[in-house]
Amino acid sequence: MSTRKLTVLALFAALALAIYSAESLLPPPIPLPGIKLGLANIITLLVLHLYRARDAAVVLLARVLLAGLLFGQAMSLLYSLCGGLLCFVAMTLASRMLHRHFPELTSILGGIFHNIGQLLIALLLTSVPGVLAYLPYLLISGILTGLFNGLCARFALRYLSRIL
Amino acid sequence: MNHLTKRACLTTVGILLILAFCVLTLVLRQNAGKAAAYTACVYLDGRLLQSIPLDQVAENRRFTVDAADGGYNIVEVSPGGIAIAEADCPDQICVKQGRITDSLLPITCLPHRLVIELKPDSPAPSGASPDAVAY
Repeated sequence: MSTRKLTVLALFAALALAIYSAESLLPPPIPLPGIKLGLANIITLLVLHLYRARDAAVVLLARVLLAGLLFGQAMSLLYSLCGGLLCFVAMTLASRMLHRHFPELTSILGGIFHNIGQLLIALLLTSVPGVLAYLPYLLISGILTGLFNGLCARFALRYLSRIL
Repeated sequence: MNHLTKRACLTTVGILLILAFCVLTLVLRQNAGKAAAYTACVYLDGRLLQSIPLDQVAENRRFTVDAADGGYNIVEVSPGGIAIAEADCPDQICVKQGRITDSLLPITCLPHRLVIELKPDSPAPSGASPDAVAY
């Protein structure tokens, strides 16, 4: 890995951490467990579209671990790791299938799978099947936030692909 | 239509189908009608702690649920509804969700693994609407 690339990836990880901490200061938009904007995912999307999947994985892992150390507890680290992992796998496959041309679609699929992952963890932890009632709300919010993050990534990519 | 456009279209159609499924589920659940009375089931770690028939609640009362990690939730039962009045979880989502009066959505405090679900009381066998009785 060249020094230039290492520096850029470290910069992306720092940006993702900053966005994540800024978002955690905002009140949750809708008081339902699992609904959030996930703005830090914009950075994962950017790295996924500018570099390779393994680079995006490193940036994501650095962000999740640092966020867990700085402001999380062990349990919230577990949820975000599980949702994040499923989301990352979905986005990697989607961006490969779409030849990195449609960050919106990639991001929407990521949002859907992130929320499915979170719901599965909730189901596992509480073992109450009633929590499945959240599924339609979580899917709709995943699609909307995914679309927003994907559009942000598209506009950022237009400029970043010129300078990186 | 080239290969890539086709894939993008298929993905979009898939996403729209998921969206349609969600909207349909929500509309159907909204229109499913409300039961006359509900029983609140309070689960901690998947075990049923309490079940409270809400139509027999005459006045507000509170009780505390102690979670396994040392945290607590104060549950407030009122006639026809139930809410989490206070909790020491970090996100406070369970408190902000407020009072629930139907079975549409349970209250969940994920950090404490607490779920409060309302189940419709069914005095008659299931599916017995007034028409079915007349028939």
